[in-house]
Amino acid sequence: MKFLVTVMEFRIALARPRLLAFNVMVPVVLVLAISLGGAPEFHAAAVYTVLFTIFGTFGSAIPLVRDAEAGLFGRIIRSGVPPSHFLIERAAGGSAIDALQLLPALTIATLGSISLNGWIRAVLVLWSSIWIANLLGNLVAAAARSLAETALFSAVVTLFLLHLSGVFRTPLPQSSWAVIEAFSPFQALHETLLTVSAGTSTEFPLGLVVWVLILPVVTVFLARSVTRSLRLASDG
Amino acid sequence: MNSTTADETVVMDSGLTSLIKVSGLHFRYASSPPVLIDIDLEVSAGEIVALLGPNGAGKSTLLRILLNELTPESGTIAGPLLSMKSSRVLMGYAGEETAHFNSLTGIQNAHFFARAAGVEKHEVSEMVSGLMNLVGLSNEADKVVSSYSFGAKRKLLLLEALVHQPKLLLLDEPTVGLDPVSRDALADILSKCSQEGSAIVMASHDLNFLEQLADRILVIDEGRVVSSGSQIELLSSLGTATRFQVSVDTASIELPQYFGEDVELVDDSGPLVFETTRGQAALPEIWAALISARVKILGVEVREPGLAELFRRVTGQELPG
Repeated sequence: MKFLVTVMEFRIALARPRLLAFNVMVPVVLVLAISLGGAPEFHAAAVYTVLFTIFGTFGSAIPLVRDAEAGLFGRIIRSGVPPSHFLIERAAGGSAIDALQLLPALTIATLGSISLNGWIRAVLVLWSSIWIANLLGNLVAAAARSLAETALFSAVVTLFLLHLSGVFRTPLPQSSWAVIEAFSPFQALHETLLTVSAGTSTEFPLGLVVWVLILPVVTVFLARSVTRSLRLASDG
Repeated sequence: MNSTTADETVVMDSGLTSLIKVSGLHFRYASSPPVLIDIDLEVSAGEIVALLGPNGAGKSTLLRILLNELTPESGTIAGPLLSMKSSRVLMGYAGEETAHFNSLTGIQNAHFFARAAGVEKHEVSEMVSGLMNLVGLSNEADKVVSSYSFGAKRKLLLLEALVHQPKLLLLDEPTVGLDPVSRDALADILSKCSQEGSAIVMASHDLNFLEQLADRILVIDEGRVVSSGSQIELLSSLGTATRFQVSVDTASIELPQYFGEDVELVDDSGPLVFETTRGQAALPEIWAALISARVKILGVEVREPGLAELFRRVTGQELPG
């Protein structure tokens, strides 16, 4: 693997400084508004989790569909990059860039209420969650036939997974919903953001680890179908 | 009369190495009518094959099937190219799209596609800059692609298809957007690729370009190969006669019997079509005969024997553009 796609993702991000600045500033402004507005901890954590995860899925799915419609995706695959390498490398590059862009917002969200170790854990949880969101974005893009559909599907899939992850409601302990929540991808991020004021969460992020490991395997397995579907997008 | 028919397999010179052979290929998109019907094609190393046909004839679809992007309904695609092992991608393709990483420079784009196709890191700079010079992109190499003209984007696309020195190069309308100098440069590059053993299959409406390069031409119409052969074979099937198509006011028509020496009226069902082996020298006599018969002439078109005339006779259509 030559990591051509990952390197290209970084080059593209650096070549668009205006967009880079927006992607840093917009989350910072939103987080600042909420943290300075005195929002209750539970609501603030929910908003941050939604913001960070949607940043990952939308940021992955929409450019992929746009590139597919323009014919660039087809050109990349045709040029010799295996579909599975492309999707994994793209998610790797995209999640690293997203995590770096969200780092100031995360730092503000946790400012003054977290130890260095806790902050490092929060960064790792954020990065892993965005890695999942980027991989989900790839799969969502394959199901969509237009940019509008991509935005809709990204929102629906992310919000549904956020719901399962306990972001919008707290399931009764030992209920089946609680078990589902433990295995949900964004539960760890929500839990981390929720517990910052009360000290860092020490709970093992089971759902996060499962999704971090399984989703790349699913992506590799579905890579050819994703490629075929995205090429259909470029054929109109 | 055509040199070969759709039912005949194109016979290759025995001295050439066949790279890919397509037999009895049929293709359709979903439940649409067939796009390609019973296509036979064999392409050998060093050969330049041109696909000529009206819009929608199936040329681009055939190229995408050769690229293995579309799966035929029936028929076989075989040949050593498909089983060759190589660290580099064996095919190069430049289609009609000009999609690039628009926020990056031309040279960054070219490097990416070269490396993706298997060009080693230590070779890539030399290979890319060499081709940048040849296609006339050197001055724009460090500019971002979003600032490129359409022609420059097309040149970059062609460069990216060529940079890894593919064994089989598939080009869809390669001269679109190119100025005459770049077009000639492309012809030189393709000739050199062919001499070095690469096979080239290209679909184009640029007849001068095809006449300059093509070893063999397949005329495709409504999904079928309606004529194929070398340029000499195809043009000899036309004979040496020049045709004149004269549009006249049919209300006043009462045609004379004689239009000049060795001039024959071959069609009077629409515009009058005359055929002569005397070339354009026969035109004044035809003109005079029509004027003396008080025929009102609306326009005259001269059709010298050539690929354009072949195309018109075989497909019944004019070439687009």
